[in-house]
Amino acid sequence: MADLLPPLGTAQIDGKTKVDEKVDYSNLPCPVPYEELHREAIMSLKADNFEGLRFDFSKGLNQKFSLSHSVMMGPTEVPSQSPDTTIKIPTAHYEFGANYFDPKLMLIGRLMTDGRLNARVKADLTDRLVLKANGQLSNEPHMSHAMFNFDYMGSDYRAQLQLGNSALIGATYIQSVTPRLSLGGEVFWAGVPRKSGIGYAARYDTDKMVATAQVASTGTIAMNYVQKISEKVSLATDFAYNYLSRDVVASVGYDYILRQSRVRGKIDSNGVASALLEERLSMGLNFLLSAELDHKKKDYKFGFGLTVG
Amino acid sequence: MDSTLSLKPRGKGKGSKGAPSSNDKSKYQLLKEWSNWSLKKAKVATHYGFIPLIIIVGMNSDPNPHLFQLLSPV
Repeated sequence: MADLLPPLGTAQIDGKTKVDEKVDYSNLPCPVPYEELHREAIMSLKADNFEGLRFDFSKGLNQKFSLSHSVMMGPTEVPSQSPDTTIKIPTAHYEFGANYFDPKLMLIGRLMTDGRLNARVKADLTDRLVLKANGQLSNEPHMSHAMFNFDYMGSDYRAQLQLGNSALIGATYIQSVTPRLSLGGEVFWAGVPRKSGIGYAARYDTDKMVATAQVASTGTIAMNYVQKISEKVSLATDFAYNYLSRDVVASVGYDYILRQSRVRGKIDSNGVASALLEERLSMGLNFLLSAELDHKKKDYKFGFGLTVG
Repeated sequence: MDSTLSLKPRGKGKGSKGAPSSNDKSKYQLLKEWSNWSLKKAKVATHYGFIPLIIIVGMNSDPNPHLFQLLSPV
């Protein structure tokens, strides 16, 4: 096979630099999973801003097995009646976690002091079928949720079936149409608020940029664009519009990956500016600083944290 | 009189169709009750047993870590 290919191989490498290249439609790459369609935009624009103190200590006992202890102290928001005021209740909790990572099986469990368990399981049933399960169990009745996903990875498509508690069924499908464009759709039916929805998504990516668009019958239209300026810098912009509730948000963000640190920030059309700094002080010791300023609601959140291991 | 006599058997017929008696449950209702019971037990079992399961699986993977490595804070 390799002896036959060199002349074709060089022709294809030259072809990629031209606009009209010869595309092998029977050999397209596998697309990204449907829920990770906009993963590059999420990394810049939906960074993990927090308020208060965060301390994570992770101890590995093995290549595969590790325990983690984390302490979080800070105000948590409670949904309030009027949209102008936010109610914050100071809380402090400790969370114990155990992780097991295997090529075929991944188990992550986190248990909080108030008895809530957050469990994630990812198991490779065959080399194409993956089972993922995600659950939040609590001692209070009717406050537990669980979701099971069955993912099938084909040669140039991915299909997923989701089953959740309180009668939630969903299915997604994404297909590579050209080496750069993939199109997908999703359907879901929820039993408790009896509604169903359908959505479509498209993703176009090259080495330098990624553009995605999503439309759903729940009313959301979201588009985002990420441009990778260099290995260290990428800029992202996002636009979300809900045609049922007439909500519009546009945001612009950046992601700088430097040698010792990573800075991500964004600014929003709701008047929210936020940034997150992760600095590597030494091997295994990371320092986090987070800030989120909501000028419209006059809500300013600052957080700092340390991650060990 | 004729109308009341003729109504009585019909009333009994409607009664037996409308509300199933305790001996007469349909298979669908039995299945729902059994699945609710088993889901509740599975939720309690997962809540208490998931973290111990991860610890047992992890302690039995090679190289086997020692118990004191699990319990010590370093």
